[in-house]
Amino acid sequence: MVKPLEPQTTASEHAKPPFWRNVTVLKWIAQIGFLTFFVWLFYILISQAVSNLEGTGIPFSWDFLAEPLGVLLGEGFNTSPGSGLEALAVGMTNMLRITASGIVAATILGTIIGVARLSSNWIVSQVANAYIEFFRNIPLLVQIYFWQALVLALGELSADEEGAAWFFATAKGIAIPWLTPQAGRWQYVGFLLLGAFATRWVYKWRVRILEEKGMETHAASWALGTFATFLIAGWLVHPVMGIFGWLWTVLAWIFGNIPVIVFQLILAALAAWLAYRFIKNFLDERRTPAGLAKLTDDDYFRLTVAGLLGLSGVAFFLLGPGESTVSQLLGRSATFSMNWGLEPIFDFLASKFDFSTGAPLEFSRPEVVVPTRFAQYSAEAGRAFTPAFVAVWVGVTLYTAAFIAEIVRAGIMAVHRGQNEAASAVGLKRSQVLRLVVLPQAFRIVLPPLGSQYLNLAKNTSLGIAVAFAEIVQVGQTIYNQRGQTLAVFIIWMAFYAAVSLILSGIVNYYNRKMQLVER
Amino acid sequence: MTDRKPMIVSEGVKKWFGDFQALRGVTTTVGERDVVVVIGPSGSGKSTFIRCINRLEVHQEGRIVVDGIELTNDLRNIDAIRREVGMVFQSFNLFPHLTVLENITLAPIWVRKQTRTESEENGMQLLERVGIPEQAEKFPGQLSGGQQQRVAIARSLAMNPKVMLFDEPTSALDPEMIKEVLDVMKELAQSGMTMIVVTHEMGFAREVADRVLFFDYGTIVEEGTPEHFFTNPQHDRTKLFLSQIL
Repeated sequence: MVKPLEPQTTASEHAKPPFWRNVTVLKWIAQIGFLTFFVWLFYILISQAVSNLEGTGIPFSWDFLAEPLGVLLGEGFNTSPGSGLEALAVGMTNMLRITASGIVAATILGTIIGVARLSSNWIVSQVANAYIEFFRNIPLLVQIYFWQALVLALGELSADEEGAAWFFATAKGIAIPWLTPQAGRWQYVGFLLLGAFATRWVYKWRVRILEEKGMETHAASWALGTFATFLIAGWLVHPVMGIFGWLWTVLAWIFGNIPVIVFQLILAALAAWLAYRFIKNFLDERRTPAGLAKLTDDDYFRLTVAGLLGLSGVAFFLLGPGESTVSQLLGRSATFSMNWGLEPIFDFLASKFDFSTGAPLEFSRPEVVVPTRFAQYSAEAGRAFTPAFVAVWVGVTLYTAAFIAEIVRAGIMAVHRGQNEAASAVGLKRSQVLRLVVLPQAFRIVLPPLGSQYLNLAKNTSLGIAVAFAEIVQVGQTIYNQRGQTLAVFIIWMAFYAAVSLILSGIVNYYNRKMQLVER
Repeated sequence: MTDRKPMIVSEGVKKWFGDFQALRGVTTTVGERDVVVVIGPSGSGKSTFIRCINRLEVHQEGRIVVDGIELTNDLRNIDAIRREVGMVFQSFNLFPHLTVLENITLAPIWVRKQTRTESEENGMQLLERVGIPEQAEKFPGQLSGGQQQRVAIARSLAMNPKVMLFDEPTSALDPEMIKEVLDVMKELAQSGMTMIVVTHEMGFAREVADRVLFFDYGTIVEEGTPEHFFTNPQHDRTKLFLSQIL
């Protein structure tokens, strides 16, 4: 018989180790310690910055946003903005214009070059290769300077050229024909939104018939036809959308008369709901059919923090600084005198849905006018791009296209050779193999790195400052040179770029998840 | 040799990969409704030979004629032959981004210009024929190897080919899935399809083949009926090969 081992120590000795050896206690101390440390660090940094600014005699403030600025911007929807906020908004839209159109153009160009790089035609593939190596290996800043110099070397716009033409390319920039939006465009866009809903409904309706009756219903053609009908009909009947103007007016009135306390309650409820959702999901993930799994100390810590954050959110919005913050955000006090918020948005829309008639868009050719001794492009006809805009747009587009081309090439090469063979073997033509089999699969591989190129393009637009392109960095710098509010401008810059980048990567991630191949 | 109408004629086909000569003059004729099984050691050129028949590889010397159309550099001939010749691969090569049914209807819609409804009806019939109609809406990644290979066969059949090429269709499968694929191939052979099958499944060769080709060093070393081949092989190389695998 083997005698069972006697336990060396008794259970009671295990039960209570001194706290400096107790793992549970140590973990809590570490968590709270780090939290305190970071809160302290942020406090130090911010209070130091604020006191430094006070030392310079320019106390931190956001006042410049509302005050007149008195500068002229190179371009944008308003070249003589009335306030700091308006100037920054111009910078933001200029940046977004380059980013959005640059992303589209760089993607198309990059895909073409990437495919060309893989062509079996030696000349085509070598030209693509040369393009990639050239644009990839020269700093973007140098390229932007180069394009600017190129545009500026085009020769002066002379008064002899007065009048309209299809195309101008001079040191004053490049002017092309354009569809200029007219007063009725808001109504037209509203009408097209209705059209989009109708198109969706028609498409689903045709697909349903296809599924029920098994007959060919040409769902795609029907949908296209529906939208085309709206596109054409809207041109004539868009003034009827003015009816919505009344709706917007009513909504503006409603939102203008909701007491601040309602918004406070909504925000407080949102904070409580977020905390509740987090805790519920957290516990659900740890629930097994046998019951709730044992929670670790770390889990308890997270639950506590979530609960505390939720509670402090509720407290913040309902008591103390909540009311003044919300009032400021909405731009109104508890006495309902208001200027920003939801009400002005609907007021704005109401002013645009005003039964105005006429074509919503007007086609026009660019025109040279001579108001003084110097010739310039007319602001009303066609569209003129400044040398700075052309330099930045061409620069970031061609530069990013080189990287996208390499990504596309890698994506295509990563598609298994057997896919090509199988697609050829069933009789598809070369172009069909690429379009129907290889590219859809390459697209999935390519999406994540493509997303980071989009982010690069968005951030590289800040180099526009080098050629005085009025994007947000250049505008911000102008503002702090005038007003000295460096910290405030930096905060706006960072928040803006972070917001743009997060939205972009959110879109890319959404598609990435949607496009994942279904596996077991 | 059969007295049937010749479907595939190969005369002195030679093929090099760089310095390496993969095919050293392959001459044979496959008649209509023939089932020809190609066996031989790895690297003997048997896969290369059937891949030359639908131009996945380009032969450098000799002639290949499929259903009266010679395989030349003329794109029209290549497209015409690929429409008539179906191929099943060792690694299935299903399109992973399309559902099973879409895999099958892709080529009929784009190459044969069938309507979607027509091609889907046809596709469902083919899936029933290979025994997996219930998988139509799944993606290839969700199927077992045997099911994937049966989809691949259905995909080829959707083009109504006159000839089916099989390049080691069961080599990548678990033993218990091999049978389900071979059963489909047997049914296909009995229905009168012209087939060339590269395989190591000797049972299949014995049961289904009209003729067996034995490949080694890029040429046909010996050919004959399965009976002749498995009971009375002539060449030493054939005897050695059979003694190692049987």
